[in-house]
Amino acid sequence: MLPLKLLFRDWRGGELALIASALVLAVACVTAISHVTDRLARAMQQQSLTFLAAERVLRSSQPVDPAWLQEARERGLQTAQVVQFASMVAAGDQFQFASVKAAGEGYPLLGELEVRDRENGPTHQVQRGPAPGEAWVEPRLLPLLQLHLGESLQLGDTSLKITGLLEREPDRGTSLFDMGARVLVHLQDLPAAGVIQPGSRVRYRYLFAGDDKVLQSYFTWLKPQLTEHQRVIDLRDGQPRVATALERAERFLFLAGSLAVLLAGIAVGLAARRYGLRHTAYVAVMKSLGASRGKVLTIYLGQLTALTLLATAVGLLAGSLIQSQAVALMADVFPVEPPPSRWNPLLVGLATGFACALGFAVAPLVRLARTDPMQTLRRDWSNPDRREWLGLVLGPTSMLILIWWLSGSLAITAALFSGLALLVSGAALVNRLLVRGHLASFGGAWRIALGSLQRRAAFNTLLIAAFGTGLLAMLALVFARTALIDEWRMQLPEKAPNHFLLNIAPHEVEYLRKMLADNRIVSTEIYPMVRGRLVAINGVPVKEIKEKDNALRRELNLSWTETLAPDNRILEGEWWDKVNEGVSVEVELAARLNLSLGDQLRFSVGGLTIEAPVASFRSLNWNSMRPNFYMLFAPGTLEDFPATYITSFYLPPEQKLLINDLVREFPSVSVIELDKIIQSIRDTIGQVSLAIESVLVLMLVAGVLVLLAGVRASISERLQEAAIIRTLGGRRRLLLQSLILEFGLLGAAAGMLAAIGAEATLAVLAQRVFELPLTFHPQLWLLGPLAGALLVGTAGTLACRRSVSQPPLRVLRELA
Amino acid sequence: MSAMLRAENLYHQVSTGEGPLTLLNNISLQLARGESLAITGASGSGKSTLLGLLAGLDKPTGGRIWLAGEEITRMDEEQRAALRARCVGFVFQTFQLLPGLTALENVMLPSELRGEGGAAKRAGNFLDRVGLSHRLHHYPRQLSGGEQQRVAIARAFASFSGDDGILFADEPTGSLDAANGERVIELLFKLNAESNTTLVLVTHEQRLAERCGVQMRMVAGEIAAGETGSGSLPEVST
Repeated sequence: MLPLKLLFRDWRGGELALIASALVLAVACVTAISHVTDRLARAMQQQSLTFLAAERVLRSSQPVDPAWLQEARERGLQTAQVVQFASMVAAGDQFQFASVKAAGEGYPLLGELEVRDRENGPTHQVQRGPAPGEAWVEPRLLPLLQLHLGESLQLGDTSLKITGLLEREPDRGTSLFDMGARVLVHLQDLPAAGVIQPGSRVRYRYLFAGDDKVLQSYFTWLKPQLTEHQRVIDLRDGQPRVATALERAERFLFLAGSLAVLLAGIAVGLAARRYGLRHTAYVAVMKSLGASRGKVLTIYLGQLTALTLLATAVGLLAGSLIQSQAVALMADVFPVEPPPSRWNPLLVGLATGFACALGFAVAPLVRLARTDPMQTLRRDWSNPDRREWLGLVLGPTSMLILIWWLSGSLAITAALFSGLALLVSGAALVNRLLVRGHLASFGGAWRIALGSLQRRAAFNTLLIAAFGTGLLAMLALVFARTALIDEWRMQLPEKAPNHFLLNIAPHEVEYLRKMLADNRIVSTEIYPMVRGRLVAINGVPVKEIKEKDNALRRELNLSWTETLAPDNRILEGEWWDKVNEGVSVEVELAARLNLSLGDQLRFSVGGLTIEAPVASFRSLNWNSMRPNFYMLFAPGTLEDFPATYITSFYLPPEQKLLINDLVREFPSVSVIELDKIIQSIRDTIGQVSLAIESVLVLMLVAGVLVLLAGVRASISERLQEAAIIRTLGGRRRLLLQSLILEFGLLGAAAGMLAAIGAEATLAVLAQRVFELPLTFHPQLWLLGPLAGALLVGTAGTLACRRSVSQPPLRVLRELA
Repeated sequence: MSAMLRAENLYHQVSTGEGPLTLLNNISLQLARGESLAITGASGSGKSTLLGLLAGLDKPTGGRIWLAGEEITRMDEEQRAALRARCVGFVFQTFQLLPGLTALENVMLPSELRGEGGAAKRAGNFLDRVGLSHRLHHYPRQLSGGEQQRVAIARAFASFSGDDGILFADEPTGSLDAANGERVIELLFKLNAESNTTLVLVTHEQRLAERCGVQMRMVAGEIAAGETGSGSLPEVST
């Protein structure tokens, strides 16, 4: 009980407040970040899952065994069924090609449909499809069929009343089946319509949602029974772009969280070190009164445990409150309500509290227990135990383990620590340079400031490293965030193509080109497209090839062009300006098929075979919204085969009705409208950016508070020095100037180091984690020292303002 | 009378950047229970080092020390700490009260470190005996220098768990004015006599030294022969 008693008595004396507040800050910060990132990541994931309208989808070209669905329901999973196909719809003598989706009960399992029940009325969000006998259609279908809401359209043999205008559906895909305007009907109406005949191209989609573990076990059970025509799709398969964005956002959020932990640890370390030094005298007295080293250790470690428990509890509470406020503030801009908090972030907070305490506070206390009782007689309160290495080993090790656990990525941990290692060694170097000046050659405030820096040389190394880490975190976050968002923006430029035209007949190409030009629509190149199957590589039939890539199992779109698209790049081999035969293969597919330049590829096209050597390997950006091909042939190779053409273009919303003209002029051409999908993707990226910004704000707050903790650690010495200078006639203005100079210099030094560290960290992150090209950031080198001087100068001066403003007599009496 | 404190051929050396430095050389002494010893000498003569070694705060480089009948030079740090907790009290020049604790809590500390019950009552009694029963719950910063030293004296006497108490005082009046110094000395000797404790005192003040039964003047780490004041330096029996 003695440790607890002493803890409470000591607390009253205010000695433990700093270390406790550092721990509270650490735990609160990490808990809040962890909560927010956890909830936002889950919200983003939920939002993204709505792209599938389910958590998993089983796609099939044939109806599946009903027993499979029964099994899912028996396991407690929600299921729904969707059938998609292209069909003509009619009204009177008007006919239109439409993309029909028949949805059963329960659809959509995730996400919502946006529907209008009046032609100019507001949209409503609903989580169901139309009732039997009804149809919801895309608004542009009405003028094409010369219909109004409330009238009926004909689908095969059945007549369906149009009761809603479909503005948005969560799982609007990008496949060929989604060509034409959407008509959403109830699954029960399909048999009566009689539009599905044997041989019809129909896609069956079975939607599943429910508990993660149950889903996992169900699909583990199901997958061995699937045929090659059936495929399970999760988020990654369904929306590769969203999955990538989400993955990067998660990595970034974890990185931010990890840096918060590191900052917190430094705050605790600074406070604990100061605590240890301040208690050297007490321990010497206690030892002279008969306390053994073991007793002292028991007392202080007992105190630390109690303090950590208390501070962690307060921190967890504070962190939970902060996150609930933060999430509430952001609720308006999130279309999906973030799911409720889980206990995981509390565990993270608890682990952080103890990791910080154990890693950073134990070493100073162990050193404290080795205090020599003879110091009471010598009246020398420096700690003679030089084992600083214990803290230098324990702190980073505990942080390493914690950050590894938090981020789940050795690459992120390694990147963080490589920057940190550079920073700590740099701090010692910079500090040496900083204190080398001869004081006599300076005057007034400069002399006081430099003198103060020289007197605290050892401690300043720690401060520079701490400030440097804080600044590094901020700089790395700002620049990494900018780089990521820029990359996303570049991937999805403002006027990215948002419509695809497929099945363009050769004779329509010129007229289409003219029509687009007349309407000032800039399209990508209009590419020919021939369907063909890769059947042999170097004479070896693909059936005998071990690498069963999906590309070997299906028909590929083969094309040719003289001009390399802007998002394509030849990595190896030559383009058609240097060679005049062969095929250019997409580099990732080539790697999966183990292709080499010159390998002979045999294709089966329309019953004929053609052979072509691999002329080049080509990288391309599937996310560019442009037509792209695995195989691009040399012009002249495929011209004799029947081809259709494909192109994409950006259509501004105000020209949306042009689609109707296009459909009317080119009835056989299929239109894929990507604008709505792109909007969904933009929304998601917007949320990711918002989440990152939120975490960044929390990180900035944590960084500033850590700086304050560092400054406060030396406040009593500073108060005493300032009081003595003022007693000797020093003016307040002089002291204020010296404080600004001292902290400004410290901050600038830390900022310079942070710039170096951030540049190194960004390089590692770019290479290893975010897979971005290496770039140099000249702004870092200006912003780092400037931000450091400003931030640390302000924070330090504000924290020490008491030494300037308080009457010196009071300070000296309090500190006596 | 049995020896409460006995030292034999003490020798103490420390390492410095410029080589070994001898702090104490050939010190022998013996004190019986209830006796008082004043150690005087110029600054740097080794008085405080000797006091620390006699109290078991450190081990001498050579020689032997017996405290309350036990040879502390054969003990490790933990054993010496246990012995100090039982029968050694300290009064320091700068009081060395823990600033986060009240007067009462400071005096309770030795009993609490020994894990004894009734610490508060015992501490209250000692504070009453030093005339500070009205200042029990004041923090050191709220007390005058004289009052702080009286709390330190109360704490020193609270350090003894039995009859074998030995009080080490290092310049107990060094931080006090004459009037407060006088009052503190009166108190120290009064309590010492009442408790029949042994007293070892380091002081610069000749007047204070003369109140002790035995005086010992140190010069450059050695006992200056023939300057042992009115008392007689006990023979050291080996």
